[in-house]
Amino acid sequence: MLPLLSLLISLVTLVVARSSTGTDVLVIVSAEEQKDYTLFFEDLEGRGYDLFFREPKAEKPVLLDADVPQFHHVLMLASDTKAFASDITPQNIVELLTKNVNVVVALSPKQNLFYTLAPEFGLVPPPPGTPLISYFPERTDPPTVLPVHVAPGPIVTPNTPPVWFSGIPFSVGNSPLLVPILNAPSESFASDSDSTTESIVESVEKGGEGLWAGSSLGLVTGFQVTDGGRALFLGGGAILSDAFANKALPDGSSSGNKQIAHDVSAWAFQESLVLRIDETSHHVVNATEPKEYYTTNDQVVYTTKISRWNAKENEWEPHTGVDDLQLEFTMLDPHVRTGIPEDLARPGTYSVTFRAPDRHGVFKFIVDYRRKGWTHLKSAITVPVVPPRHDGYPRFLSAAWPYYAGAVSTSVGFVLFAALYLAGETKEAGKKKKE
Amino acid sequence: MHWLPALLLPLLVLAKDPQLELAELAEKGNGVIKLTPNTFELLTSSNRNWSAAIQLTALDKRRRCEPCKNFDPSWNEVAQAWHKVPKAERDNHFFATLDFDDGQATFQKLGLSSAPAVYIYSATDGPHAPASGRFGPHKYDFSSGFEAGPLAEQLSRHTPIPIPYSEPFNWGKLLTSIAGVVSFLSLLRWVGPFLQNKWVWAAGTIFTSLVMTSGYMFTQIRGVPFTGPNGSWVAAGYQNMYGQEVQVISLIYGTLALSFLMLTAVVPYQTSPGRQRVQVYLWTFVIMLVYSVLIALFKVKNRGYPFRLFL
Amino acid sequence: MATAYTLPDISPTAVKNTASLVRIVALALISGAAIASRLFAVINFESIIHEFDPWFNYRATKVLASQGFYEFWNWFDPTAWYPLGRVVGGTVYPGLMATSGVIYNVLHKLNLPVDIRNICVLLAPGFSALTAWATYMFTKEMKDASAGLLAAAFIGITPGYISRSVAGSYDNEAIAIFLLMFTFFLWIKAVKLGSALYGSLAALFYFYMVAAWGGYAFITNMIPVHALTLMLMGRYSSRLYVAYCSWYAIGTLSSMQVPFVGFQPVRTSEHMGALGVFGLLQIVAFAQLARAHMSSKQFKDLLFYSVIGIGLIGAGGFVGLTYMGWIAPWTGRFYSLWDTGYAKKYIPIIASVSEHQPTAWPSFFMDLQLLIFLFPAGVILCFRELRDEHVFVIIYALVGSYFAGVMVRLMLTLTPCVCVSAAVAFSSLLDTYLDPAKPEVPVVEETAPATASKPAATATATGTSAIDDVVNAAKKSGKRGIFDLDTRLIIVFNAFCMLSFFVLHCTWVTSNAYSSPSVVLASQNQDGSQHIIDDFREAYYWLRQNTPETSVVMSWWDYGYQIAGMADRPTLVDNNTWNNTHIATVGKAMASTEEVAYPILRKHDVEYVLVIFGGLIGYSGDDINKFLWMVRISQGVWPDEIQEPNYFTPQGEYRVDDRASATMKNSLMYKMSYYRFAELFGGSKQAMDRVRNQRLPTVSPTLDYLDEAFTSENWIVRIYQVKKEDPLGRDLKSANAFTDGKKRKRSKPVSRRRAIM
Repeated sequence: MLPLLSLLISLVTLVVARSSTGTDVLVIVSAEEQKDYTLFFEDLEGRGYDLFFREPKAEKPVLLDADVPQFHHVLMLASDTKAFASDITPQNIVELLTKNVNVVVALSPKQNLFYTLAPEFGLVPPPPGTPLISYFPERTDPPTVLPVHVAPGPIVTPNTPPVWFSGIPFSVGNSPLLVPILNAPSESFASDSDSTTESIVESVEKGGEGLWAGSSLGLVTGFQVTDGGRALFLGGGAILSDAFANKALPDGSSSGNKQIAHDVSAWAFQESLVLRIDETSHHVVNATEPKEYYTTNDQVVYTTKISRWNAKENEWEPHTGVDDLQLEFTMLDPHVRTGIPEDLARPGTYSVTFRAPDRHGVFKFIVDYRRKGWTHLKSAITVPVVPPRHDGYPRFLSAAWPYYAGAVSTSVGFVLFAALYLAGETKEAGKKKKE
Repeated sequence: MHWLPALLLPLLVLAKDPQLELAELAEKGNGVIKLTPNTFELLTSSNRNWSAAIQLTALDKRRRCEPCKNFDPSWNEVAQAWHKVPKAERDNHFFATLDFDDGQATFQKLGLSSAPAVYIYSATDGPHAPASGRFGPHKYDFSSGFEAGPLAEQLSRHTPIPIPYSEPFNWGKLLTSIAGVVSFLSLLRWVGPFLQNKWVWAAGTIFTSLVMTSGYMFTQIRGVPFTGPNGSWVAAGYQNMYGQEVQVISLIYGTLALSFLMLTAVVPYQTSPGRQRVQVYLWTFVIMLVYSVLIALFKVKNRGYPFRLFL
Repeated sequence: MATAYTLPDISPTAVKNTASLVRIVALALISGAAIASRLFAVINFESIIHEFDPWFNYRATKVLASQGFYEFWNWFDPTAWYPLGRVVGGTVYPGLMATSGVIYNVLHKLNLPVDIRNICVLLAPGFSALTAWATYMFTKEMKDASAGLLAAAFIGITPGYISRSVAGSYDNEAIAIFLLMFTFFLWIKAVKLGSALYGSLAALFYFYMVAAWGGYAFITNMIPVHALTLMLMGRYSSRLYVAYCSWYAIGTLSSMQVPFVGFQPVRTSEHMGALGVFGLLQIVAFAQLARAHMSSKQFKDLLFYSVIGIGLIGAGGFVGLTYMGWIAPWTGRFYSLWDTGYAKKYIPIIASVSEHQPTAWPSFFMDLQLLIFLFPAGVILCFRELRDEHVFVIIYALVGSYFAGVMVRLMLTLTPCVCVSAAVAFSSLLDTYLDPAKPEVPVVEETAPATASKPAATATATGTSAIDDVVNAAKKSGKRGIFDLDTRLIIVFNAFCMLSFFVLHCTWVTSNAYSSPSVVLASQNQDGSQHIIDDFREAYYWLRQNTPETSVVMSWWDYGYQIAGMADRPTLVDNNTWNNTHIATVGKAMASTEEVAYPILRKHDVEYVLVIFGGLIGYSGDDINKFLWMVRISQGVWPDEIQEPNYFTPQGEYRVDDRASATMKNSLMYKMSYYRFAELFGGSKQAMDRVRNQRLPTVSPTLDYLDEAFTSENWIVRIYQVKKEDPLGRDLKSANAFTDGKKRKRSKPVSRRRAIM
């Protein structure tokens, strides 16, 4: 279904397809909850996505058919549901992610299978039934509904106004693949409504262990799977809801929920911050074709072309302005590590010339570019570096002059001796030589 | 004020630092602490800022531990080498010996069923505690033998500073070799003609090659015993042998070679046909007999061998 | 004069011609027998390259045959010793490959499209025929042609040489023994004749030998020792001077042309003996010359002491240069021949090779049978005559028997010497008892022996018939001989029986012990028929056909050449054990836990790990039995991380069952060997390792970082695929637990503040 469909869609509705991976979105949401997100769904459809809805307990449409993903993106908004259909399991969701399907998961104070899923990504949700609470700023809303200031970052639009949030926080592990997008306000904490502060006091006494409080907890966190899709964890689905999008902030201005819903879904569905390496090439200086192997101390040129997905134009365009791209020429350890500057004449092209090490072996050109939020770029080309050929060494060495002199003098001496021996009297010549 | 130290002295003894106590014990034992179960506990207490190497052995004659006796001198040599280290460093590492008869319970606790063994306890505290956090006990690996050299070298990895052990110079060996050379030179006049006799050299050559082809080097390199444990002198298996086999086999080879030489070089010079005939038959019989024995012996070693001769 | 039996009346020329015809026919038959007895391997199995090293030689030969010599010279093999690579052209003795390449090209020029594999398989038998001929020539110099024929026959079929030269055993030794014998022959000839031509020829073949085998150092030291001994015996002559100088000068210069040898002949201790003797010869020659021209006694004394002084200065110079590092001291391999404990202590890789073990006496008897006790008799006979060439054989016997005792593999260098001296002894015996002359019994009969008539063939014909020659020759040699016919008959009959037994023995040993390719194994079925176990090739071909060409395979070094040759995949280590650290790295990965091994595997881009496991069918040469060497070698590099005693039970036993130590059970090698092994027996207590005769635990080990990819029919070869890093960045153990649906322990946010104490 997927390849054919995407092909058809890309042919017919070329204008609106904007994700770099595809347009089919499966939304797993119960029928009553579905109504809460009309604005968000409209936004998605307006960006060219085809939404397919599925009840959490419904068997169809399936996520994976014979291990082949059936959708490009999956939205798990059924946060309050306890039981899911048999194919919706944490294992299957992880499998989708490894197959370049993007997944958005909304957690909630009610425990369900996402509670076992999140720890696999280094995110630890608090015990069930402990929503995020904050009494600041003073407002009429219940303490579990709170406005959150949006910190600037690569994913969200700058100057987004604070957003309404309701749900749970989670502690963010130190996995380098995690991309924090929205963190909890520093004065907020997670607690069940019965024992509001006691447990906090208790954990404070323990030196902060097990303290579900403070700005280090995440509310919206992305996860860039290595060689796979993107996962987005929301502390609560409500942040995307119509109610919060329309709800005014305590100071009366409009909230940033609509904007953040747009931004995080654009990131999660691989519209923004998507890079790829178009091509890499290597050759010696003053040549164009790559060599099968390089000789030690060769001057080698390495060139790579990087593109970025432009969601507006629906095409890959050269990605310029990277000033921290690095190349490693590695055999077990990097023998050469150098920055790759941009080739200003050719946008999106990065090129460097370096001297191959004086060491033979099987080397790899490695570009490993990982920046938070961006797609990871990884390229490794294996190439042997060999010692010079038998005729590739310099012919005459200054250090070898004693040997040349020795060889020549011996030859001359032999010729002279032979001439004297043959010309002179046999007996005398022999005597002369031996003395 | 002279009475003050005198007054403090008993106090000092009472609250004596275990390290000092151990140092005293080491001093008493000339570098090696002779352990009892109590001092063993003290030495290996879990909170120690010294390291220790403990030889667990059974030197009593009744225990019949031959390797223990072989190893003990090396141990004491290395311990004494350590004893020469300046006091500041010396007391951070102790050498100790626990005999089986003094601490059976300790042996049982350590699960030791064979001796000798060397356990090395690193310091758990203080500046000499290993960064790896592995405090031991490490077991010394006897694969490099019982010699003091490798022992000192390996133990040095656990001591605060390397053990200043150097192999004692073998004056005896040097003197013997010098004496040998000198006496050889002085005797050259009488030995000379002897050395110029080719048959002396022939005997040497033949002896060497006979011994070599009988597997002498195998017994040397592998250090195999002269006979088997149950008195048997033929080791089972194709790639295995005992020391006595070298003698038997070289004797067999020698006899066979001699018989051939007799037939080739001595018998033809017989002047009497009768005696010549007797000798030919005799040597032929010897060859057949010894050769059969050889084949039979080979069949013992290589059971799959299909041939046999008379025997 | 009396003769013991009637000789037919034949003219001396006829005898001479017949003798040479018989010699040629005999040599041809010996060559045929030598080749034929080496074909057991092809008949019992197939035309296949054997064992380990030959696979590399075969692969290199293919490169040489297809790409030419210069490409071979510059061949850098990126698939060996990944990722270090191997400069093959500069680290290989190219003689063997070059020989095959030449044969291949010649045959193709003659429009005989022979497969390169068949040339490689049959090269060793072919060269064994040449060896027989070279031994014949050599022995002829020692005694006479009849002894030469015997020696040729001996070396043609003796198992000591066959073990290294059966069809398919495509190794350097295959051609090296011929070169060894022929170089020695030329050297002997040069010394005998004082001929610069023969000396140069010896140098030429010495060069070929240097290009073919690392054992050339044997020649490099044997010839100087011979020359030195001759000088010490007071047998210095201009013949020796000419022979040695021409051999040394040309031989050394030409040997330096082999890239792998390079400047070693002037920079290493192994070659210094030859140089030293060269220098000594010059001094002695000068002294001889000067003495002839001087009269005064004082001058002669002065000369004597100055010669000794120069010699001492020279020796001191060597020592000094060695200390300053200009001359490399003896390499470990060479040194371990003298100090036999050295290798085990410092170079466990060398000690771990089975062919570097010392030789027990049954091996000597198995390989040489009756020759081993004829050999001393022959040496004694050499002492009796003690011409220059006999001194050579005596030294060879002494040195060779010592080396053969130290290392099984050096049995090969002893074998030719044993064959020669045994042939001398045996033919002396036959000469004595076939000689028709009968001392002091005046019965004249007319005879002419065909085989034992060397004196007849060479003695100048002065009499009227051949009989006179024979008798005269016999008379000249003294008053000796055999009187009766019955004693002659019994000796000859006995000799015949012993030789027949020798032939039976050799045939049996060759067909049973030395003809297994070790790539293909054979076992006996219940009904006695042969059952072929072909697990190795099955596994290697699986790799070849199911994995990407670039996927790196890790295995213990024994299998490196085979994987490269048959599976055509890059390997981490192979039988060219030049880099101890790299081998120790592999050993460490095998001996460590999965968690420790995994980063090592990933760092080296390992995609498949191959282990040999013999526990199911009782194949004893498997990796668990070699495991302690892996531990030892890696312990040498990482003494803090790998410790041999940890792999034994507290009682010091090497076990794989319930009582195995924890380190053993957690090691990667153990896990890979016994993974799913108990399940094969239904999980009951029946899982039995038939090599170690131990019952395994009912629960098999688990693997988190590797996947079983392939296990061969009899479980001899097991291949595991190394998993990729988890895409979610978890460690693979918890990733597997998640996939299996195991619940993760709930964790809490860690404290970000340090507790204040």
